[in-house]
This record gives sequence, structure tokens and C-alpha cells, in this order.
Amino acid sequence: MRFFDLVSLIFYNLSRRKGRVLLTAVGVVIGTAAVVVLVSLAVGLRENATRQLWGINDLTSIEVYPGYSMEKMASSSSVMVGGGGGPDSIKYLTPTAIKEIAAIPGVKRVITQDYLNANLDLVYGKLHAYGGVIGVDVTDLADMGLTAAEGTTELARGTAVIGSWITRNFYDPKARPDDPPLEPPQLMGQSVKFVLIKWTQDGVEIKKTMTVKIAGVLAETRGSADGNIYMRLDEVTAWNEWSRGARINRNKEGYAMLIVKAEDPDVVIEVADKINELGFMANTPQSYLQGINSFFLVLQIIFGGVGAIALLVAAIGIANTMAMAILERTREIGLMKAVGATNKDVLSIFLGEAAGIGFIGGLGGVIFGWGGSAVLNLVALSYFASQASANGGLPPTMAASTPFWLPIFALAFATVVGLLSGLYPALRAATLVPVTALKYE
Amino acid sequence: MKNNGFVRVADLHKDFLMGETRVQALSGVSLEIEQGSFTVVMGPSGSGKSTLLYLIGGLDWPTSGSIHVDGEEIEKMDENSLAGYRSSKVGFVFQSFNLVSSMPAEENVSFPLRFAGIAPAERKTRSQNLLEQVGLSDRATHKPTELSGGQQQRVAIARALINNPLLILADEPTGNLDSNSGLAIMQLLSDLHKSGKTIIVVTHDSRIKQFSTNTIFLLDGKTVSEQTYRQATELMSQP
Ligand SMILES: Nc1ncnc2c1ncn2[C@@H]1O[C@H](COP(=O)(O)OP(=O)(O)OP(=O)(O)O)[C@@H](O)[C@H]1O
Ligand SMILES: [Mg+2]
Repeated sequence: MRFFDLVSLIFYNLSRRKGRVLLTAVGVVIGTAAVVVLVSLAVGLRENATRQLWGINDLTSIEVYPGYSMEKMASSSSVMVGGGGGPDSIKYLTPTAIKEIAAIPGVKRVITQDYLNANLDLVYGKLHAYGGVIGVDVTDLADMGLTAAEGTTELARGTAVIGSWITRNFYDPKARPDDPPLEPPQLMGQSVKFVLIKWTQDGVEIKKTMTVKIAGVLAETRGSADGNIYMRLDEVTAWNEWSRGARINRNKEGYAMLIVKAEDPDVVIEVADKINELGFMANTPQSYLQGINSFFLVLQIIFGGVGAIALLVAAIGIANTMAMAILERTREIGLMKAVGATNKDVLSIFLGEAAGIGFIGGLGGVIFGWGGSAVLNLVALSYFASQASANGGLPPTMAASTPFWLPIFALAFATVVGLLSGLYPALRAATLVPVTALKYE
Repeated sequence: MKNNGFVRVADLHKDFLMGETRVQALSGVSLEIEQGSFTVVMGPSGSGKSTLLYLIGGLDWPTSGSIHVDGEEIEKMDENSLAGYRSSKVGFVFQSFNLVSSMPAEENVSFPLRFAGIAPAERKTRSQNLLEQVGLSDRATHKPTELSGGQQQRVAIARALINNPLLILADEPTGNLDSNSGLAIMQLLSDLHKSGKTIIVVTHDSRIKQFSTNTIFLLDGKTVSEQTYRQATELMSQP
């Protein structure tokens, strides 16, 4: 039997009992649509979660903080009666520690960072702002994967490169509540006064004012960098020492944070694990992403499984319809064999019909599922958009997202389900003895 | 060899198992049928006529014995070769027509060609030619329900001829027809015989005698002589 003849006969057989085929296919439509909508929803939720938490991020960097070991804390506190967590229990990011970390295979570079530990008031004309200053041990922020929207990423003495949201922090302390909202100032290339404040033990306020030139504004990262002011580490260290009134011994207290760059995104998790083994605390966007992804993968499987159960019920319907069809057409099967159909021909015809029902239902299910996801998006997005504008956040761009492979997969799956449910009836049909089939009443 | 013993059946047995009991439908049938003959199989109900015909047509397997058709030993064939045999060597005509009710006459006639890998265009011309041969060219698009019994059987005969087989097997082809339509069908079979086909017909209709070349008598699953057959059937028909 030629393939074209097989297909046309299958099509003919399905079309001559449209009503029953369509009724059976409805079950498949529902199951497939459920698979498409639920998996789309799971994928959409994951995409939102990852997009919102990490914009574009540098996938080779690892944030390393001092390690606070629970075991050591517990044992040291038992020795030092009532002493709490002594300094011994903390693994500081000292120069020795940095050397240790830099020696881990796969580490390209270690960047040291420290925060400005002082009260800071930014003054630009009559405007004031708050902002966290980070001292970084690089000459160019591009080494940290940051890019400039304006100006440069290079850090020179007396300059700062600011995150994209810093300008929004400026406010006019003398403004009245009914004044129109302030336009964020254009700070690029401007000089801003950095006013450090500390108090003596008698409560006397001491101020130190520096003029810093804004040499660059970073492109938006949708990450922590957006709210940071980057300066040279030595300058920030000097200000910290002024604020404290004492020198900082890096060998004792280390740095606040390191950024470890891995040679390759593939080794990031491995390197982070090694750093954790050394007793420090390593965070990577990847490990976070991995957690999110595996959570949503489980969600996808559960959602997909719910849909698959609906498909399974539909499969029983197909098997039933095919079993009925074979009973009704027993004489026809006998005839087919009498006029030269092979067992394989008969098997192919009935398997094809079962798969055809699966395919028709799958097609309907994909269309309905796609439509359903679109409606879901429409409804959910208008709701989220109103929520977001009320709360001042970023609205999610979608609720359900149908990856291109999903309709193809769902259609193939429905067809295979049809095929499998037709397997037993079709095998029975194929192995009928022609005489018995012809005599069947 | 070709002209002699076109169909050779030797010591053919066919048992049916009905639960515990064994029904012997055929118990040692041997016969030879020449190519180009018109053979009638006669026998009372249950004597094994249909069983014999189906076995020759390769639609069932014998319990023992051998069947040669056109030099091929069909009881030794596997399923696939048997399908090829049914497709190319024999054309079957049934008492109950066995047409596909949803297909028009033309497609019923060409139905076997779908399994023989013949292209649609050729299927159409061949079936049109055969419908003309059986006098139904104006009924090509009619479905079986729109045809009389006699016409349906003509469609079935055209279908049996579509693969141009050497052997036509007909199991009571006139059994469901009135006597006029039945005679017309016998006439048609006779025409086929004259055109060179070998024909085996199972029938109770004695009018077939004017067309047939030889007759096989079956009694209780065995071939018997005409004399034995007459005696036995007379005994049976006595009150
Ligand atoms: N599938 C079967 N299972 C059991 N017994 C069967 C089967 N087919 C036929 N038989 C038995 O075999 C015997 C011969 O049957 P067969 O159909 O060949 O008779 P027949 O000569 O064609 O009769 P009729 O003239 O009534 O058609 C009968 O006794 C019948 O009951
Ligand atoms: Mg019979």
C-alpha cells in the first residue's frame, strides 16, 4: 500500500464518521489545551521571575562575603562563656584570603570592594540626596561587566561613576508638598558635593566636604548597581578611616566584599562551591537562577502532568471509539484482507485513524491553548499593570509565555497518545482471521 | 502443468474447535480443477462447501492436507505472501456482496487496488471499464444502498475482477437474489468463464448446470460421486 493511499484512506474513514470522531477529539482538545495553557503559564512565571530579579547580569561574577560559620560560633561561644560569636568565628576577606581565592582554578580575577561607612549627604545646588558609595579596586568598571550610558566607566581620583537610578534620589528639602514633582538633575560631568558627617563623643557634629566630579552614568542593569555610587577604593578607605578616626587593618578585618570573576560562565557554580568550602559566603546570580529554574521546572512538570492526565482520559475515549469502530467494521476488515490487504496494511489504517483523532484533537487543543494563553495574558496584564502603576513598580511583561516548542510538542504528544490508544484495537483488527471477520454479524 | 490441475487439493482436513467439541467441516477432500473450467460445488447445508472455497481462496488455514493453486502451495504461505496471493490470483464473490456501504460503486470496484499500490487515475479507468463490462457504467457514483441486489452483486463481481485474477471463487452469489437477477449473475459468470477465467461456484441453484463444465458433490465434508449424492439427498428429502 502506498503511503498516499494509506493517508487518503485514513482520512476517508475518519470523515465518514465525523460526529463520533469529533466527539472523541473533544477530549483530546481539552487535554492538549490544558497542557499548553498550564505549561505556558509555568514558563511565563519563570520568565517573569528571572527577568525581574536579574536584569541582564554578568554571569561570570561571584559575590563573596565574609563567612560566618555556625559551627565555629557555637563551639567558640561554649569556650568563651557568654561571649557570643567572637571575632574568631568570622572568616574575613583578608589579603591572605584573597590570595587563597585567587588560586582557585577557574578564577580570572578578584576585585575588592568596600562600603563607605559614614553618614553621607550629596549636595547638588539646592538639591540633596542619599546614596551608598562603594569603593572598588578597579580602574575601569567595565571589568565588572558594567557599561556607561553617559561618560566613562573609568574611575579616576576625585571622580565617581553613578548608577542609573541615583539621580532620582535627589530632592529639594525646602520644597512644599504641593510643588510639582522634581525632574531628576542631569549630573553627568557636574560636580557634586559629598558631605561626610561624624559626631565626637560629646555629640559635636563634624563635617568633611569633598567635591567629586561625576565622570559617568551607568546603563540600567535592573540590579543593585543601579543604586550605587562607584569610587576608587583608596578614597573610600581614607574616608572610612576619617569617619572612624583610626587606621583600618585589612589583615585583621579584611574587606566588605569581593567580586570574583570566573574564566567561563560554566565554571561559576563550581568556583562558588569551592569558595564556600573555604568558609566564605559566595553568591552567584547563576545559583539563584538555578534555584528559580529548578523550581519552575518542577512547576512545569506538575502543570504539564495535570494536562497529561486530561489527555490520558481522552486516550481512553480514543481506545473505546477505535474498539467500537473495529467491531462495527469487522466484515470490512475481512473484506480488506480478502482483496489483498496485508496485516500491516490493516494495522496501519487503524493506527492511523487513532493517531488522526489524536492529531485533530491536538490541533484544536493547540489553537485553544494558544488562544487561552493570549486571553490569560490580556486579563492578567491589565490587572498587573493597574497594580504596578498603583505601587510604582515595573509591570510584568507577560503572564503566560508559549515557547515555540510547546505547540509542536503538544501536537506530537496528542498524536502519539492517539496512536498508542489505538494500538491494541488495531492489533486485534490486523490479526483477525479473514473468514471469521467475513462471517461476523 | 498449467492446463492440468490448476487447483489441486489433497486430503484436506478442516476442524473447528467449539469449546470441547471438534467439528469436522472437511474430512479428507481431494480434487483437481483444470484451468479454464467452470466448476460447481454442490452439497447440503453444513457439508463444508464454503469452508472448502475459503481454504482455496487463502482466507483460512487447513488443519491438514495441501492446496496447490497455479503451482503455488498456499497452505505453506506466510501472512504476507497469502495477502499477495489473494490480491493477484483470486477474486472473491460473496453471497452478501460485502460492499463498503459508504463508497460509491466505482470506489468499491477499485477498492482492492488501493492495497496493490495502483495510482488513483489508473484505479478510476480500470473500475470504469469493469463497471461497463458488468453493465453498470451509469451507476458508477451510486452507493450500494442506491442499487438493487443484482446490481450490488455485479459491482462485487467487477471488484473481484479488478486485479485480473485467473481464479474466481463465488460462494452462493445468487443466494440473496430473485431468480431473474440470479440468472443474470450466472450468465455474467459464464461470460467470464468464456473469456478464460477459472470459476468455482458454490450454489443450490440447479440452473447453473447449463453453464458449468463439471460439478463437485460434498457430503459431510467429503467429496462423493453424483450417484451417492443423489441417493443421499433423495433420502434426506423424503418425508
Ligand atoms: N467458524 C466456525 N466455527 C465452528 N464451526 C464452523 C465454523 N465454520 C463452519 N463451521 C462448521 O463447519 C461445517 C461446514 O460449514 P460450511 O459453512 O462450510 O457449510 P456450507 O456447506 O457452506 O453450508 P451452507 O450451505 O449452509 O452455507 C458446519 O457444520 C459448520 O457448523
Ligand atoms: Mg456456505
